[in-house]
Amino acid sequence: MLNKIQNLNYLLVFLVILISFIGAAGLYSAAGGSYNPWASRHLIRLALFLFLAIILAFINIKFIYQFAYIFFILSLLLLLSVELIGVFGKGATRWINVFGLSIQPSELIKITIILALARFYHDLKFDQIKRIKNLFFPILILFLPFVLVVIQPDLGTALSIAMLGILILFASGIRIWKFVLGFFVLILLIPLSLNYLQPYQKDRIFSFLNPEADALGRGYQLIQSKIALGSGGLTGKGFLEGSQSYLQYLPEKQTDFIFTLIGEEFGFIGTMFIILLFLLLISVCFYISIKSNHIFGRILSIGVGSNLFIYVIMNISMVSGLMPVVGIPLPLVSYGGSAMLAIILSLGLVLNAELNGNLKKLYNA
Amino acid sequence: MFYSDDKKQYSVLNRRTFLLYLLKVSFFGIVGWRLYDIQIKDSKKYKTLSKNNQIDLEIIYPVRGKIYDTNNKVLASNIKVFDVYIIPENTKNINKSLNELNQIIKINFSDRRKILELSKEVKKFEKIKVLENINWSQLEKIESNKLNIEGIFISQDYMRTYQFANTVSHLIGYTNKPNREEVELPFIANMPNLEIGKDGIEKSFNPNLIGKSGQREIEVNSYGRIIREISRQDSQKGNNIQITIDLRIQQYTLNLLKEHKAGSAVLMNINNGNILCMASTPSYDPNKIIQKPNKEYWDSILENELSPLTYRCIQGLYAPGSTFKMVVAIAGIVHGIIDTNTKHFCSGKIGLGDRLYHCWKNNGHGSMNVSDAIKESCDVFFYEISKKIGIDKIAKVAEDFGLGKIYDVPLPNQKKGIIPSREWKKKKYDESWYPGETLISAIGQGFVLTNPLQLAVMTSIIASNGKNVIPNIIKQNNNIEFKKLEKYQNAIKIIKSSMFKVVNESKGTAYNSRSESTPFAGKTGTSQVRRITVAERESEDFRKKEVEWKKRDHALFVGYMPAENPRYAVSVVIEHGGSGASTAAPIAKEIFQFTKNLEI
Repeated sequence: MLNKIQNLNYLLVFLVILISFIGAAGLYSAAGGSYNPWASRHLIRLALFLFLAIILAFINIKFIYQFAYIFFILSLLLLLSVELIGVFGKGATRWINVFGLSIQPSELIKITIILALARFYHDLKFDQIKRIKNLFFPILILFLPFVLVVIQPDLGTALSIAMLGILILFASGIRIWKFVLGFFVLILLIPLSLNYLQPYQKDRIFSFLNPEADALGRGYQLIQSKIALGSGGLTGKGFLEGSQSYLQYLPEKQTDFIFTLIGEEFGFIGTMFIILLFLLLISVCFYISIKSNHIFGRILSIGVGSNLFIYVIMNISMVSGLMPVVGIPLPLVSYGGSAMLAIILSLGLVLNAELNGNLKKLYNA
Repeated sequence: MFYSDDKKQYSVLNRRTFLLYLLKVSFFGIVGWRLYDIQIKDSKKYKTLSKNNQIDLEIIYPVRGKIYDTNNKVLASNIKVFDVYIIPENTKNINKSLNELNQIIKINFSDRRKILELSKEVKKFEKIKVLENINWSQLEKIESNKLNIEGIFISQDYMRTYQFANTVSHLIGYTNKPNREEVELPFIANMPNLEIGKDGIEKSFNPNLIGKSGQREIEVNSYGRIIREISRQDSQKGNNIQITIDLRIQQYTLNLLKEHKAGSAVLMNINNGNILCMASTPSYDPNKIIQKPNKEYWDSILENELSPLTYRCIQGLYAPGSTFKMVVAIAGIVHGIIDTNTKHFCSGKIGLGDRLYHCWKNNGHGSMNVSDAIKESCDVFFYEISKKIGIDKIAKVAEDFGLGKIYDVPLPNQKKGIIPSREWKKKKYDESWYPGETLISAIGQGFVLTNPLQLAVMTSIIASNGKNVIPNIIKQNNNIEFKKLEKYQNAIKIIKSSMFKVVNESKGTAYNSRSESTPFAGKTGTSQVRRITVAERESEDFRKKEVEWKKRDHALFVGYMPAENPRYAVSVVIEHGGSGASTAAPIAKEIFQFTKNLEI
């Protein structure tokens, strides 16, 4: 145990704390220079979740491996129950109450997808990967939560699940031509799926294509967030000096658009610093993956790193107008418990994978 | 088999991991580049946009206070008016909307074109004014059709209105948009579109009548659209003002004056200085000035050579003529030059130097004492005594009796007039005083100029046995006590009995205007027209008759009522009215009788 504490990847822990503190500073500013209501709770969550993550790091990896599918099925059931509440209850919802905690199962499912796929490819013999029939199970693992999230409807999360799946399948060694084929199938499916989109989602996509055309309505968020970022310049307006967010022009400034607030107050230097921190964090995950002796640890670390990557890229692309506004938070920075819990716990799994990296096989064959 | 695959599998995984990592780094690069574009390259553009993204203050204009007469009759108030706007973004076809509106209220062709042009220039959510000040029936028609006409928006505003248009127009004044200097005034600061009082009470009491503006903080995005209201502070209504004018007397008097081309009358309460009536003719209709377009009406006023905008009561300067004789007589008595027994013989004229000075009665009044001289308005008597008094002493008394002064009453643009003295002439013309000018001044001619309000004040001071009456136009609750000018007591007694004789004894100049029911006292005046008091507009084709009228003397009368224990003083001036006895005195009588009847 003492050995494990010594060998814990403190760089990763430090990065998590640093990024979360930057997030807290942004939330402090978003509240007009107040710890309440966001910054204080953000920091409390950080402490709590980090503690849980470190405990998770010390758990025997075999236990996690054995329960990987169970975790997946449990989180899938949670997601389904949200769906059912949405259908039979009042209006659509993405949250569910678990032990008094308001949790978004769609955030948790991404982690259990990683676990399930990691176990699947750990168990699969390498020469079996080529087989088409062995593609069926991983696609099922991805498809079920994807569909459930799409009908919520949560376009951003659905898209990130799809991307996460593609990245993991790629990392696990699926043949390239299968991706090319899948890509064409997707292209064909786009017009079909457009029919199933909610009107507001269609609006979002169209406003992304030409935000200035309707600057006063749907393009509003995007233009305001670009104004916030752009007016920050190189060095920013200074901490607590961001007028865009102060004047309430920034929509959802404490959640999905927190990055623009930081960009306004700390400028290009601030945004670059955050991006580099994330890149460093993802690099640590990849380093742990390469180091790992077992496929489970490798896929798990790559999966968690990719998940982080998807969050970061989608969020920043969204607020800087590279893609439509789809409602994806910036991990560890945006306010919101579910995403933070999912991210920190998943990093706890990566810590675990590193501590148990020298194991060869996880099952007693 | 399991283990042999391991090596291969791990090398594939390593390769894929490496590729994946490369992909991620390049995506971070793309995002970084994008941020560079926004935050560094286009930063200037976004900084400008950020500045325009603001909280705007919208002013809520206050409602102007009302003006009442002494009996709570509303003289000036505000009516709701409605303006019709069109908002381009709310209609699919602005042309169609205008057509539909046109069927209810005619919109003229050029206005329509302007609206259409404007709709292309302004932002599509900005409202464009289509019609102004529509009336109730038009409003009802539009309201009932509003659902059919797309993009129509009706906003409510207040317009000043004057219930008794011509009757009190000079006194009340009117409101209009402030000019460039007035915009700087502290009480209208931040209300650029406020209509402010431009004349009369409306002007003097702007700070009271205007009230306080309210404001609405609104969030405006970088395109100027209102996003939401942040705070709201309602405006405060302006204070109401009650003036001392009695509308009934004012209306009655104005009707009397209207029989003449131009003239004025002032009626005052001598005990508190309250002005009950201050009528001037010709007058104008302030409502027609306020309602736009007003150019035609405005031009007609400016072209009128009788100058309807002039408030003759305070802006008309007239030689007081014989009404000035009381002042001269009082000066003679208080300086011991005459007493009730002092007599002078009037042969119709006296000579001074190489000039002759005539009495109005060519063959003379014979032997006259002061009382007779006032009663019959003998000029020679006053020529004689003025020689001994001297102009400076006369001027001092005249000033004590309120002449040659601008009063501290909220009536803008009072004209001071002239009470001549040696010092005054030296200053004005750099010339010394000629003795003959004293004689001319003693009968209220020459340099002497007074306005009708001053004459009414002079009469009030006489009637109140020397109280230093100050005119007042704003109704006050507290009782005003004026100081008595003790040194004039004796002289005033003599003058008052003489003024009683003017009206009530045969040979008195106003004997024909005496009233059994309403005994009053007074003094007539007929002043030669040396120059037209009101700047006349030169026009090349003025008719002969006009010239004749202009050559006629001004008719004046000052008086007080009742003759015993007087309460009211009056001054009447009819421009080119002929003689005071024939034209002005009868009007004074009517005013007195009407006022007395109101009291009962």
